Amino acid sequence: MVIKVLGIIAAVIIALVIGIFFLGLFRKIIARIQWRYGPPIIQPLLDIFKLFHQKGFSHGIIFDLGIILSLAASIVLILFIPIGGLSSLENSGGLLVILYIMLFKPLGIALSGGEGANPNISIGISRRLILSLGYEVPLLLILISVMTYYKTISIIEIVNAQSNFQWSLFSPLFLSGLTYLMILPAILEIRPFDIASAPQEISSGPAVEYSGRYLALYHIEHAFSLFISTAIFVDLFLGGGANPFYFLLKMLVVFVLGVFIHSVFPRFRTEQAIRYLWRWPAILAVAGLIIILIIKARYG
Amino acid sequence: MDRKNIKKWLKEHGKMSHKYSLWVIYFCTGCGIIEIPPVITSRWDAERFGVIPVATPRQANLFLITGYVSVKTLKAIIRTYEQMPDPKFTVGFGSCPINGGMYWDSYNTIKHLDKYIPVDGWIAGCMPRPEAIFIAVTHLWTLIDKDMATGYIKYREKYKYYRANQEKVLSELEWPPLYPINDNEEIK
Amino acid sequence: MYLQILLLIAFIGAFLTYLLGKISSKIRDIFAVFISSTLIVMTAFLYGNFSEKTFYSGFLGLPLILRIDMLSWLFAITIAAIGTFSIIFSLSYIKGKERTDFYYLMMLLVNAGMLGIVLSGDLISFYIFWEIMSWSAFLLISYNRGPALAAGMKYIIMSIIGSVTMLIGILSIYTSYRTLTISEIAPLIASASPGYILFILIFFFITFGIKNAVLPFHTWLPPAHSEAPSPFSAVLSGILIKMGVYGFLLIMYVIIGLKKFLALGGGSFNFHYILSILGAITIVVPTFIAMLQNDAKRLLAWHSIGQVGYMILGIAFGTSLSIAGGIFHFFNHAIFKTLLFMVVGAVEYRTKGIRDLNSLGGLIKKMPITFIAALVGACGLIGVPLTNGFVSKWLIYKTLILERAPFLAFAALIGTWGTILSVYKFLHNMFLGQLPEKYKDIKDAPFSMKIPMLILSFAILLFGILPGIPLRIINAIGTSFGLEPLNVNIWGIASETGALNTVNIFFAILIASIIVWMLLRMGKKSIPVSQKDSYAAGAYIPKEKYHYTVEFYNPFYRMAKPYLRDFIDEFYSIIVKAGRNLSGLVRKIYSGDLGYYVIYILLFLAILIIIKMGLVLW
Repeated sequence: MVIKVLGIIAAVIIALVIGIFFLGLFRKIIARIQWRYGPPIIQPLLDIFKLFHQKGFSHGIIFDLGIILSLAASIVLILFIPIGGLSSLENSGGLLVILYIMLFKPLGIALSGGEGANPNISIGISRRLILSLGYEVPLLLILISVMTYYKTISIIEIVNAQSNFQWSLFSPLFLSGLTYLMILPAILEIRPFDIASAPQEISSGPAVEYSGRYLALYHIEHAFSLFISTAIFVDLFLGGGANPFYFLLKMLVVFVLGVFIHSVFPRFRTEQAIRYLWRWPAILAVAGLIIILIIKARYG
Repeated sequence: MDRKNIKKWLKEHGKMSHKYSLWVIYFCTGCGIIEIPPVITSRWDAERFGVIPVATPRQANLFLITGYVSVKTLKAIIRTYEQMPDPKFTVGFGSCPINGGMYWDSYNTIKHLDKYIPVDGWIAGCMPRPEAIFIAVTHLWTLIDKDMATGYIKYREKYKYYRANQEKVLSELEWPPLYPINDNEEIK
Repeated sequence: MYLQILLLIAFIGAFLTYLLGKISSKIRDIFAVFISSTLIVMTAFLYGNFSEKTFYSGFLGLPLILRIDMLSWLFAITIAAIGTFSIIFSLSYIKGKERTDFYYLMMLLVNAGMLGIVLSGDLISFYIFWEIMSWSAFLLISYNRGPALAAGMKYIIMSIIGSVTMLIGILSIYTSYRTLTISEIAPLIASASPGYILFILIFFFITFGIKNAVLPFHTWLPPAHSEAPSPFSAVLSGILIKMGVYGFLLIMYVIIGLKKFLALGGGSFNFHYILSILGAITIVVPTFIAMLQNDAKRLLAWHSIGQVGYMILGIAFGTSLSIAGGIFHFFNHAIFKTLLFMVVGAVEYRTKGIRDLNSLGGLIKKMPITFIAALVGACGLIGVPLTNGFVSKWLIYKTLILERAPFLAFAALIGTWGTILSVYKFLHNMFLGQLPEKYKDIKDAPFSMKIPMLILSFAILLFGILPGIPLRIINAIGTSFGLEPLNVNIWGIASETGALNTVNIFFAILIASIIVWMLLRMGKKSIPVSQKDSYAAGAYIPKEKYHYTVEFYNPFYRMAKPYLRDFIDEFYSIIVKAGRNLSGLVRKIYSGDLGYYVIYILLFLAILIIIKMGLVLW
């Protein structure tokens, strides 16, 4: 019992620390690619400290509760994903529960933004939902391929089936894995897909009315969401990890790949994003699914 | 730059975090805005000081009034300033906010910005070079350390004075007073 | 005896309410609520009974039988509960309109008809009660005259077509087996040829498909649900279309039986697989069309069609998890769709009839309880974890993925995303954002409207956190069909290939929320600011509308609009127009001019004379 509680606390703290580290690494790598020095890696932590010391503005009760719900759901989601051996709520839900608890994040921000009463927030949320619809089409096909190949919907079993370097990326699921890499920027919401929070177009979208402690929670939430999205990819396709150290190493590789893509692309328009996501990634995902079905039909 | 001084962080974390993460609101007030893009791009990198531009006043704590202030822009400046969260710092950039500058005899600009919103520091020049912005930022850090960057506190205490000046120039203000005005006091 | 008393109370109560209404409206209100609550209590006492009683022999030579078992009980308790809540809701809604006695008579009659359908034990009484229900529904849909008359006409024509096909099926069963009692037909049909079973199934499929609004037959639903008065839209969407689901379950699993049904057809073109594919298409297309609607009730009506697709998909797929998921989804959908229609009714009542999504906004400050009900209902419809919609959809997803039907699973999953987009539009355009000036003085929904909304929201959350309560009943229904039972506990479902434990999820989110709230309080206290003090790029907010509602999903709308028209409705309109033109042509024979009629008579006589004179035509 005590070990379980310690495991939960360790998982959340690892996620928080690594998430903030990723945010800082993000800005540093982009700066170095652009031939400048960039902020120190610890800068997001300084930002969050500053935001907690600011006297923000609040628009009502739901404004507070929305962002609390959103961050609480992200924290709970950490407990469902195996972080190299640490996973606490494994018997309470599988991949489908993870997919649907991820819905709380835009829902919470949408609710609190609704009381902010600014059309920029509404436009931002509508763009976020359309983008989600866009990447869900290939993503669902990929997840269905993975679940059909391993014949289970529990993520722990999928990780365990990939031990000893039998990663999904090198098995018949390689096409699905490649497609997942193609849509990973959309899930992480980095350029070219950072349509929802476009500072130049819609004044930061849902974050336009956040100030002070709410903006601090929003940044912490952004850190968690980077961690969660990369962790799910590493668990499904790169074999998880026997201990947290290898897991974090794999996550670092995937994340740095995403940052490289972010630093060279401008932003898509929403129709261009959907047209991209529903064209080649969707076709490749369907092809991957058909390959898996043929293999399962022949070899059982 | 004492960003790595952990003892100081533990003692005065409020002030230190305000110093090393100043977010500028990207509001093009006047002609001086042409000097800001070079500051935030690769050559004179402002991000290493922790200074990044943000799109909305709710997220910002540094306001650069760049260039001359016409009467129409003054309305937007006041509204933006009031929407920023406490503690906030203002820097007048260029000669025009100090004393009217090149447009000292124009009917449409205001000559002393200090009468309408509190200003913590001034940068002289027409236009100052990007290095002047860095000197201003480091000077602002010294002021924050010595508790002398108190523009926002002055705004709260002397709000009646500021509001009266604002209403004299802009005949109609659509928003209600930010702090309650007590009618029994005299304007000092 | 007990079942007869139940039905007698239901019918006589309806007529007595009408008569009492002539005397006084207050007595009528109290009596209507009393009758509905009595029905709930009497139905609740029937839990666990299995009986079958003849209540009238000799109707055209056949006995009329009433029957109750676990399946009928689940449907009956849902009908009674939703009926009662709608009547409580309409106490304030209908006040002041005209012909309110007629309204209460019809509401109670629809209730009684539906109770009769699920309690009937042979196909003749099933048909009689089916007709009573359809006609009362037609009279209620056309209650508000005006455009509601056309909507009602569309509904009743399609419903009559369904009833006729059902009559053909019943007659065919009678001529083959000489009996219409359900418990007697079941063993007899087991020895019939697959071609005959397919024939029966197709006719009953047309009937129940029309009532259920499965895709080729769905065109009556959007106008009917939007033009009916809101409490009756709740009943329509909540349970009336589910009578089709009951009919499907009756025909497929009670009469024909599980094994024969699943073996019908050859190779991969089993009948049940085609039905599942139809269900999958019914999920995807209407939920995306719902995204583009601007009228709140029409949006919810298109959603009803989509969610019915989940039920048909679950029931037709044939594994124990999917049938449990389909039946549970029926139960859940009754709860949250009723709740959402009640929310629209409350908003319509307070804003004097506005339900156009483009002109509402910001009602969260004025109608907070209605907003909470709408939020919980919307979360249930989407299937957010901790609501009951999630559990039923989880059952369906899991079995579709594990039984190797990936494209059906994909259709089910992408339907949820269509639901998310359209339900967020519904919630946002009504409740979030800036409040328009003209609605500054609205009050919250009246007390009699708040009670059913709060009870239903509580039910959604209760059955989401402790899904074992309804799942045990559904498990019993599943085993009565001959499926293997699920491993159901009070907290969820255990299994080796992925379990579900909703109580754990609930406590985790609760504790995490408390921790985050404590984290929030570590920051400096924030200043409360009104909604008018919002970012508007350095200006004060404009006096006109500062709320983004029109064409809410504009980028997607532009891309998808040409593909998301209702093709089937246009196809039916073309057929109707062709029929009307043909009838118009035929009508020209009756030109009204006496001269033409004389010519017709003379021509006919001339032809007769020629034939008599020996012209042999064949």
